[in-house]
Amino acid sequence: MADVPEFPQCRIVPMRLLGADTTRRLLDRLATVHGVRRILLNGQNLPSTVPYGPSRGLANVHPQRKKIRVLGTEFDLRVQVGSLVLEVEDKSIIDEVRSLCEDFFTDFSCYVQEGRFMKTRPSLTDYARYGPLPDPAVIGLSDPNRKEDPVFLTEPTGCRGDL
Amino acid sequence: MARKPQFGPGTSVVAENRRRQMDPSRRLSVIRNVTEEDIVLLLGHRAPGSAYPIAHPPLAEQQEPDCPMRRLVSPTEGAKAGDRVRYIQFADSMFNAPCQPYQRTYVEMYRFRGIDPGTLSGRQIVECRERDLEKYSKELIETDLFDPARSGLRGATVHGHSLRLSEDGMMFDALQRCILDRDGIVKYVKDQVGVPLDRHVSVGKPMDEDWLKQKSTIFHSLVGTPLRNDPEYIEYLQRIHSLRTKYGFLPREG
Repeated sequence: MADVPEFPQCRIVPMRLLGADTTRRLLDRLATVHGVRRILLNGQNLPSTVPYGPSRGLANVHPQRKKIRVLGTEFDLRVQVGSLVLEVEDKSIIDEVRSLCEDFFTDFSCYVQEGRFMKTRPSLTDYARYGPLPDPAVIGLSDPNRKEDPVFLTEPTGCRGDL
Repeated sequence: MARKPQFGPGTSVVAENRRRQMDPSRRLSVIRNVTEEDIVLLLGHRAPGSAYPIAHPPLAEQQEPDCPMRRLVSPTEGAKAGDRVRYIQFADSMFNAPCQPYQRTYVEMYRFRGIDPGTLSGRQIVECRERDLEKYSKELIETDLFDPARSGLRGATVHGHSLRLSEDGMMFDALQRCILDRDGIVKYVKDQVGVPLDRHVSVGKPMDEDWLKQKSTIFHSLVGTPLRNDPEYIEYLQRIHSLRTKYGFLPREG
């Protein structure tokens, strides 16, 4: 298998779970940072129907589960975001992200960790889903069992950010 | 020699709160008012105002066997009427919720009659006869055992007790059974199993951080009282751990 270039990664962990509006505002700012290649949203699933109990199957009306629009692209937010994993072009971008977060989170704190938080090489499951030559842009971004593809954002300047 | 129950070890505020809640001779302070109709709505077992469905005829109408135990133990109101057995279940945040699953079970066993509690790490369910349940539920919700933001009525899909809080300070709930309204009051919009209610049920304002820290019954090293600050509690836990470990080897006397 050809070598896949590896880029630095960081993880933003706020002290509170983020609502949909806060997530949208944060993504609006992160997605316009030059050098942010990919963003992965992690959080608690908000099911569309009640999954267990006597009311199983009933529609689950949840105010945090809704469509949000980032850089002109609308997509469904299905989780209450607990952390964001970013893949960036180089390490200097992480400092930029850190200062952005310090400005953004005023009501509660957050920390930005450096490390490796999403996989960069295809696994067996990726092979089963995408075949022998998967697009490196989707590896580690989405659950291979999911039907939907990642969301691709186009910045006004022309660089591409993936959510 | 008459013995006075100690209810639990410890010198910290958490230990004292645990003892205060468990001791049936000490009254729990009522800090909010929820009507009986609202309790029925939250539980979702019957429509408010409807008759209690029965599982068996009232005890007065049936022939009971001559049993010394039955002469000794008087039935609860629900058992007398032959009510169904129904439940209430709570999830309590680890961020200083005033009560916690194990603690709830201790409290209920000391204070209530005719109950069957089930205790898990993040939730606690208690089953009993329906009209007893409504009475006990009212006490569990109106007193300082409950905080609208950190405790939740969750019959199913309980996940959230160990998670970070939401931005507004509420415990995560995948079904969003209650909301923090603009007036600062927590209102239930769904019953405990997630069925939308015809009208909102108000359960009062969330308590502030200082109150929660003073009333909490969970040790928490980051946001509350660390267990390490209570050496008496640690000594007790180590003693229990040591004894049960040694007993695992079935030691023989002599």
